[in-house]
Amino acid sequence: MILNQEQIMLRETVGQFFEDQSPVSRLRALQQRPVEESYDREFWSEMVGLGLTGITVPEVFEGLQFGWMGLGAVSQEAGRRLVASPLLSSVALAQNVLLNCASKRQIESYLPRLLSGEITASVALDEGRFFDPGAVLVTEQNGQISGSKARVLDASMSSLIFCVARREAGGLGVAVVATDDECVSMTPARFMDLRGCAAITFEGVPADRTEWLEGVDVASGLEQAIDQATIILAAEMMGSARETLERTVSYLNEREQFDVKLATFQALQHRCARLYCELELAESTVAAALMALDDAASSVSAQASAAKTLANDVFSLVTSEAVQLHGGMGVTEEMDIGLFLKRSRVCNQLLGSSSYHRDRYARLLGF
Amino acid sequence: MTEDALSVFRAEVAEWLDRHCPASQRQPIVREEQIWGGRRRVFPSDEARSWFEACRDKGYTAPDWPVAYGGAGLDAEQEKILKQEMSRLGCRPPLYCQGLWMLGPALLVYGSEDQKREHLGAICRGEIRWAQGYSEPSAGSDLANLKTKAEDCGDHFLVNGTKIWTTKADEADWIFCLVRTRDAAPKQAGISFLLIDMASEGVSTSPIPLISGDSEFCQTFFDNVRVPKRNLVGAINEGWAVAKELLNHERKMMAAFEGMLEKPAMALLELAHYAVGVSEDGRLADPELRSDIVSHLMRETGIRQMGERIYRQGKAGQMDARLPLLMKYLGTSQAQVKDELILAALGGEGLSMDDESVASEGVRKMVKQWAFNKSLTIAGGTSEVQLNIIAKRALGMASGERRS
Repeated sequence: MILNQEQIMLRETVGQFFEDQSPVSRLRALQQRPVEESYDREFWSEMVGLGLTGITVPEVFEGLQFGWMGLGAVSQEAGRRLVASPLLSSVALAQNVLLNCASKRQIESYLPRLLSGEITASVALDEGRFFDPGAVLVTEQNGQISGSKARVLDASMSSLIFCVARREAGGLGVAVVATDDECVSMTPARFMDLRGCAAITFEGVPADRTEWLEGVDVASGLEQAIDQATIILAAEMMGSARETLERTVSYLNEREQFDVKLATFQALQHRCARLYCELELAESTVAAALMALDDAASSVSAQASAAKTLANDVFSLVTSEAVQLHGGMGVTEEMDIGLFLKRSRVCNQLLGSSSYHRDRYARLLGF
Repeated sequence: MTEDALSVFRAEVAEWLDRHCPASQRQPIVREEQIWGGRRRVFPSDEARSWFEACRDKGYTAPDWPVAYGGAGLDAEQEKILKQEMSRLGCRPPLYCQGLWMLGPALLVYGSEDQKREHLGAICRGEIRWAQGYSEPSAGSDLANLKTKAEDCGDHFLVNGTKIWTTKADEADWIFCLVRTRDAAPKQAGISFLLIDMASEGVSTSPIPLISGDSEFCQTFFDNVRVPKRNLVGAINEGWAVAKELLNHERKMMAAFEGMLEKPAMALLELAHYAVGVSEDGRLADPELRSDIVSHLMRETGIRQMGERIYRQGKAGQMDARLPLLMKYLGTSQAQVKDELILAALGGEGLSMDDESVASEGVRKMVKQWAFNKSLTIAGGTSEVQLNIIAKRALGMASGERRS
């Protein structure tokens, strides 16, 4: 990633902050908390204090305007420490759904509250196994929203849900619904990586308690926002994958068997070298996608699909290999490697698996 | 250079290329029409000759070399612009030559002033074609084990031994060689870098038949060959440093090999569409092939993006020195993946390299390419050697006792 001076400072500050304040033990501590708590609220306030809600937001909206590369760098640092926060759900996803799908008036009404940390929002996408824009079953009928959404990230910590639903007049829309609405029922759950989500059922939320986003082209705005969040998630995954490989190489450099360091065995050297090649290949694709976002390039959608596919595949591979290369320790709770492994499989399914994105990439290229 | 100056430069380059590159030289290059230069050089057509001569006179056969040695003296940004404009207009590379890609860059660093003047210009002008004499029958990945001996005979060296995998040595005029000038430990400390005129008495070459049906690689023999002392590059017994400099250029060249090869008759996607057809929903009819092609395209693009990332890092002064170590391994492996996909797409139509009744000419070429490209992960340092280097230098993995 080529960063400018401001972005380098941002990355260093945030990286140090995560290292000092959010070791992996902070994530583990969530296990002792009620299932509704998908991250540490106080720690999130500190992140907000550093301005992390406004990295990509233009200065006219009181943001930092550090660009997508800036948010990508912060997400990578978060990935290194497995930081649980609404950086993906509220900042990368909900905020951009708002910016891409809402009217100016709506942006002015919600964005300042999101930026100040007063509220967070989450986007309800998935139904069934994954999000398929062509098969959305949550619908508007007689002005009321009904249906069920699965795996809405950090939903029980959010004030607002941006629900993707089929409009009565046809086409997709995004409805803003308060999580405390009496017609919204939520079942919170914890993924195996200790992050939180909820299944949500909308039981006829009436029109006067629903606000539809009124941007010019909601469907393509939504696709754009999902592409943006997908690339940011890929950046976070690259941070986690890199950390996993580095921890594994250090382990091999320390652990001795047959009177030599494990790292001296060529079989293991080649495995690690291959992993490193895969890692930098994926990183190059993710960095190019972040750059495409900053340049508002027309190829962003295909690049988002390529970035997510390569990030999915390398993160899965590196974590599986890391467990094996740590030997028996790799399958113990004492090591963090297992958490990286589980995180990789959760990330694989968020915002599109590899097979989904390969198919999408082919369609975008016309085959 | 400022952005303004660069855009002026771009406009000038585009105008020059447009004026000097005839339409026939903007067709995708085919192997038979590549210009390799040398004493026996031939041009496939008058237009090919005039395009080559225009580039030669402008210094564009070696755009980044100093003007004094026959280049155009372009800096990295200008060279990139020239390449971009050439690729935009579809201009063929004016000259293919190992001297250009490998020996020249090493001479620029290690050559004496006399050597630079004698050899660099002849390379740029396409007058001398070079071969590389590194490997030997008993010195492959363990290159330092080489045995070809250069004996000090006062005003000249007397060279005896043999070199193998000397690409196109049967068509080359000169060969740059690693030779043993003393028995030393470690073995690297007794190696020197020597330039040898292949017209000298005692040099002979024979082509090696390959699985592709061609004989790109040769074996070259040296039998009491007298080589003047002025042809020694760098200090005596210090040829290993020159060799390593040169290998870096070879690996860079091989990582980007695809771009210099003959373009296949059809791009992979086009070929797949043509060969396996499309289903009603517009998807390629063979879903497994479709998925494999997507994976390949994503990775191929990723490798290109890594090249651009390295370039931008250099420009921004944020170079990660580990990344260039990965390019040869990734680029050559991916080129082979592509060949396998071409074969998969061809199906039963791609089962012959030479039988016209089984496969058309275009198809036969693709199949030969598949077979030839198996050498990409072997030549210039095998993939296994690359992985050793990556593990040690990029990842800092501990070295063990070498069990040799």
